[in-house]
Amino acid sequence: MIAFSKTLKISASAFLGAALCVHAAQAPRQIDVQKMSKQVENVVVPLPNEIFGALNKLGSVNWREYVRTEKTSNFTERPRIALLLGTVIADGFIAVQAEDAPAVKEIGQRVLSLSKGIGVGNSITPHAKAITEAADKRKWEEVRQELDRTQSSVQAAMNEVHDEKLSQLVSLGGWLRGTQVLTSVVTKRFSPDGAELLHQPDLLVHFQTQLQGMPEFNLPIIHDIQSALGQVKPLVDVGPSHISAESVRKINDLTTKLDSGIVTRN
Amino acid sequence: MNRFMKSSLRIGLILLICLILPHRAGGTVDDAQSFALQAAEPYVKEGFQVREDYWGGDLGSGEKKAVRQQLFKGNEYWFWLGTEVERAKISVHIYDAEGKLAEQQDSWEKGHFAAAHVIPKATSSYFIIVAVEESPEERTHWALVYGFR
Repeated sequence: MIAFSKTLKISASAFLGAALCVHAAQAPRQIDVQKMSKQVENVVVPLPNEIFGALNKLGSVNWREYVRTEKTSNFTERPRIALLLGTVIADGFIAVQAEDAPAVKEIGQRVLSLSKGIGVGNSITPHAKAITEAADKRKWEEVRQELDRTQSSVQAAMNEVHDEKLSQLVSLGGWLRGTQVLTSVVTKRFSPDGAELLHQPDLLVHFQTQLQGMPEFNLPIIHDIQSALGQVKPLVDVGPSHISAESVRKINDLTTKLDSGIVTRN
Repeated sequence: MNRFMKSSLRIGLILLICLILPHRAGGTVDDAQSFALQAAEPYVKEGFQVREDYWGGDLGSGEKKAVRQQLFKGNEYWFWLGTEVERAKISVHIYDAEGKLAEQQDSWEKGHFAAAHVIPKATSSYFIIVAVEESPEERTHWALVYGFR
């Protein structure tokens, strides 16, 4: 009887274990990428903090050096506001990395005012409030999450009114600012692993394709970005080779110029 | 049964089917997303930051879809797939840019939830393949969310 109950217990445990932890069915070890790439869905653009997180693991970064709170120019052209909005949200992630509460709060207000300028302020007000509250309590994880929600809400509100292209510019603005900071950090303390974080050729193609679909946004800054992306692509599309220190510096020069073009009037 | 009764019964039956059908296939991608987020929940406690952005759509039984995602070496990622169709069986797998299976052994599938875990060996573009293996519905909504730490 004892043996039977023991067997029963073991069987029950095994069954429960199997039920709770169902491992993935055998997936093919190799797929035909050429065939797959024809059915690929749109890419999700990584947030700056995703890249900053990887960068942090390579060594400590003095994020305070990159915090920016000064009020940037006011624009009336919606594509320019969208680019700037993406950049300012990226600045928010930098301020979170630096754990700089006053900067985070200021950036939260700036995001709200830019969102109003582009007609999506209503959806951002609760997020701006949540950012301020979380920054006051120094709950950095909550601020990060709220910044992600802010960007997502801005883009959802834009998509709702069929402003998908502006929504894409928000992502692009954030990516450019993130790349500028990434290249600044890696230029200062070069390592092949740090440079490898720039290996994003598919994202560049994604942005280039999106910009080609915006002929109506005939603005010098858009042309500058298109030209710069064309110059960056061969520097990062190096296959199995390493991205050189010189390439990182060049990308930093290009993205710094673009950033200046995004945040200032001229 | 007279002719009037027969017609009334037939019309009643058609109306009943019309009322029931939209409820049977009435889920949305948003519903699927809430299940994907449900699968992600325990991992948030382990320090994973779950992105607000997600992919979604619908697939027929046996159909697959690939999404491409830039992943960064140094980070660790989980991708969670969910559907509101409780009797569906879904899967998610991750491949590197060369098409080699890149996921960790602890990736799992459990009915209308599935998850794949990847610690990228290189910063690059990866393919995430989502599939509806079996489903009682003609089209099954799916949503894929991801988190990193």
